[in-house]
Amino acid sequence: MDGTLIGIVAFASVIGLLAIRVPIAFALAAVATVGTFVIFAFRTGTFAPERAYRPTSSLVFSNSFDLIHSYDLSMIPLFVALGHIAYKADITTAIYHAARVWLAKIPGGVAMASVMGCGGFSAISGSSIACASTMGRICCPEMLSMGYDKRLATASVAAGGTLGSLIPPSVLFIIYGIFTETSISALFLAGILPGLLSLAGFMLVIWIWVKQKPQDAPRYEGEITRAEKRRAAIAAWPAVALFATIVGGIYGGFFTATEAAAISVSLAVAIGFAQRKLTFRALWDALRETCIQTTSIFLIAAGAKIFVAFIALTGVAPDIVQAVTDAELSPVVLMAAIALIYLALGMFLDPIGIMVLTLPLMVPLIETYGFDLIWFGVVVIKLLEIGLITPPVGLNVFVISSVVGPSVAIDRIFSGLVRFLSVDVIVLIIIMAVPWLSLFIPGTLQ
Amino acid sequence: ETTLFYGEAGPNRGARAEATNWFAEQVSEKTGGELGFDIQWGGALFKAGAALNSIADGVADAGTIIAVYFPQEMVAYGIADLPINNPDAWVGMRATDELMRSSEAIQQNLAAQNLVYVGTYTTSAVHIGCKDTAIRTADDIDGLKVRGVGAYGKTFADFGANLVSMSIYDAYQGLDTGLIDCSQGYSYAVAALKQQEVMDSYTLMNWGQVGALGIFMNKQMYDSLPPEQQDALMEAGMGMADKLGELITADNEKAIETMKDAGVEVIELPDEERAKLVEKGSTYIDAWVEQATAAGLDGTALLAEYRGLIDKYTAERDDQGYPWTR
Amino acid sequence: MLLRIEKLLLDLAAIAVIGLGALITISVCLRIFLNSGIPDTVVMVRELMVAAIVLPLAATATARANIVVEVLTQHMPRRWQDWLVVFGSVMGLLALLPLMWAGWREVTGAFESGAFFFGQLSLPKWPGRVIFFFGIAICWLRLAIMVWQDIATIRSGAHIDATPDHIEEEA
Ligand code: NA
Ligand code: NA
Repeated sequence: MDGTLIGIVAFASVIGLLAIRVPIAFALAAVATVGTFVIFAFRTGTFAPERAYRPTSSLVFSNSFDLIHSYDLSMIPLFVALGHIAYKADITTAIYHAARVWLAKIPGGVAMASVMGCGGFSAISGSSIACASTMGRICCPEMLSMGYDKRLATASVAAGGTLGSLIPPSVLFIIYGIFTETSISALFLAGILPGLLSLAGFMLVIWIWVKQKPQDAPRYEGEITRAEKRRAAIAAWPAVALFATIVGGIYGGFFTATEAAAISVSLAVAIGFAQRKLTFRALWDALRETCIQTTSIFLIAAGAKIFVAFIALTGVAPDIVQAVTDAELSPVVLMAAIALIYLALGMFLDPIGIMVLTLPLMVPLIETYGFDLIWFGVVVIKLLEIGLITPPVGLNVFVISSVVGPSVAIDRIFSGLVRFLSVDVIVLIIIMAVPWLSLFIPGTLQ
Repeated sequence: ETTLFYGEAGPNRGARAEATNWFAEQVSEKTGGELGFDIQWGGALFKAGAALNSIADGVADAGTIIAVYFPQEMVAYGIADLPINNPDAWVGMRATDELMRSSEAIQQNLAAQNLVYVGTYTTSAVHIGCKDTAIRTADDIDGLKVRGVGAYGKTFADFGANLVSMSIYDAYQGLDTGLIDCSQGYSYAVAALKQQEVMDSYTLMNWGQVGALGIFMNKQMYDSLPPEQQDALMEAGMGMADKLGELITADNEKAIETMKDAGVEVIELPDEERAKLVEKGSTYIDAWVEQATAAGLDGTALLAEYRGLIDKYTAERDDQGYPWTR
Repeated sequence: MLLRIEKLLLDLAAIAVIGLGALITISVCLRIFLNSGIPDTVVMVRELMVAAIVLPLAATATARANIVVEVLTQHMPRRWQDWLVVFGSVMGLLALLPLMWAGWREVTGAFESGAFFFGQLSLPKWPGRVIFFFGIAICWLRLAIMVWQDIATIRSGAHIDATPDHIEEEA
């Protein structure tokens, strides 16, 4: 049977199954399993199913088991746990509170504090979704009760949540590093400046928004003393310490990125218990949530990994890469095309699924063009982050919506995000046009 | 016309990839285009840790197996990883190849796992590069933080090194930040990963190599091929030692030049110091003999035979030079 | 019964996360302060990862925490949506079946060959594979029961609540 045909039918089947609400992981794995079986059964020209059982099950097993059986990927449960533990130990709230007190008097100050809080939480959490859900729980109710415009209150946190994967640590960078065989530490460092640029962009959006419509962001009326400001800033020290440990430890040669995950979790637990803010029960709950969340991340990644192995069997991938290479696109056109592809996929699919499906095709192309894989990683992650806030499937938007409940309709959140998205596109173009922004910090190591 | 799937966990560049492509071309040439390979690079079908089962189960018809991932199942082949005095890439490959082909016991051991040996690669001689320090004697290893691999790494630990595990891709940054003092490696890999930028010294240990990685085939698939195609596979596989030997020796020489140009001090470890390494490493050779014997192979005899083959091909090289220079 | 096993497995996974975090932390501290370490940390962390990721699979299914795309289906009639939830679980059963079979073969294979990981401790390969098989098998059982119960719910005229729930505080 023709591999290309099988490949196309498989892609169509996956899309069809996703459309009828089959869990992403199951759709990928089931289609890949059936497709692999068909390929092996028809190896000899005639249909011989008895020859297909062993190779099919072997391929399915090794691709999922090896993904999980990984030392480097232990960063994922650990950095997810860090986020949950930081929340339970009030470390997260302290960051937001500090930003909140310092920015209170500025127009739109609470929205800005929310975005700043997202940036701060991103620095100790590996996941954008965790960032949006945690900060959403803290910030959105407060803004809504202060009389903030619903669109502003929800969209600012949904957008701010996307910083979670750009500012290190980041689950997406970890997976990118594993799939492209690039240094995860270098990727982490590369994400810092683009992450800060995105944060500045979001702040700008809020500033302009409130400038145009002051009624959308009522001023904070209370009085804030200097002592209060100082206290709030000091109270945020655990988050600063954790981020300094992660980045300083990697940068200073004390430990690898993988080890940084474990060290920072241990530190967060120690701080939490020392400050008497973390209880054993809360720690346990945090770990349970971590396990559920991590398992669903890995389930999708495993489904995608099996699917990628199946696609390799069909031989479709080299044809596509060859076709693009033959087209001899200019670098600018190529990057524009890649950006459009990721934005289109990002409208529907989740970031990890997109990454594992596309990277095996993209990396050879990128290498052919001589682009830097670290820089390309930052571009890809930024594109995937944008996908979290684009309709119809915007995971961050869904998360915020589940936090605020039915009082704010989903399409209101999306409409609030239009301004944030337009700034994101500008930031994206800057990241693509100025590789220095991504490569400067990892470069200082040399 | 038959196309076989070939699974390779490594990238499609570098000397090993070139040798794999050469192997595939040779097979195609020798069979008049009747037998070809569809090579899946970068672990697209399976990672190195799953290679053995994947080939045995027919996920790929053939592929690269790296023995260090299967110390039990690939115990015989593991002889090529031992820290014995075996630093020459070509000599090591020829000796390993002849041992794997000539030993009936090894063939049977593989057949029981539904595998057939086809040809061998090597990663070439194990050396070590350091930052802010240099290994001039075996005692210099004491107290250093080392990224070490295999029995060589264990021997470093026996000399007092503190082993730090990290992927080879992170070794650059590990050296740069001081997380590790030294990284075990091969010359061509140092240059490919630009580690000379962060190394101050590179000690040529001329000690041994990691040579237990090679091409294996699914036995059922192999048996189903006509005899002339089987012969073509074996001939091409036997030719690997000469081909990869030529490629890797040239790459390694070029890499040493690159290191020198980058200001790295290239140190030759004195003979008496190397003897200390070989001596300490003998623990792991004894352990291997024991393990091979437990697996039903005559470990002592295999080791003696392997040492004899190394001597034989070393003599051939000294007399006639490498095949590609003759 | 199954619910209790699931919760136990989830707790074991949490212990695995603590275990791998502690293992790495201690090994880093030993390196920094004593220039020493724990042998085969990498292998042990890998094996613990299998426990951390695979043991909660059944609990993830119970919590309906598997990520789905709902854009098109949310506008469908409720009854259609119910059947699609069932269909999704059936796809899960289909997808996990070959994994379970291969997992079993791996378990027996690892025992028979006595396979172990290269390292200072020569740790055996079977524990991770046993955990993997067990985690998948329990998840498969859970999905099968969910299909059964969901069909019963539909038959009774009620609707399936497929919104993902968080783990109850007192899980
Ligand atoms: Na982050
Ligand atoms: Na989207």
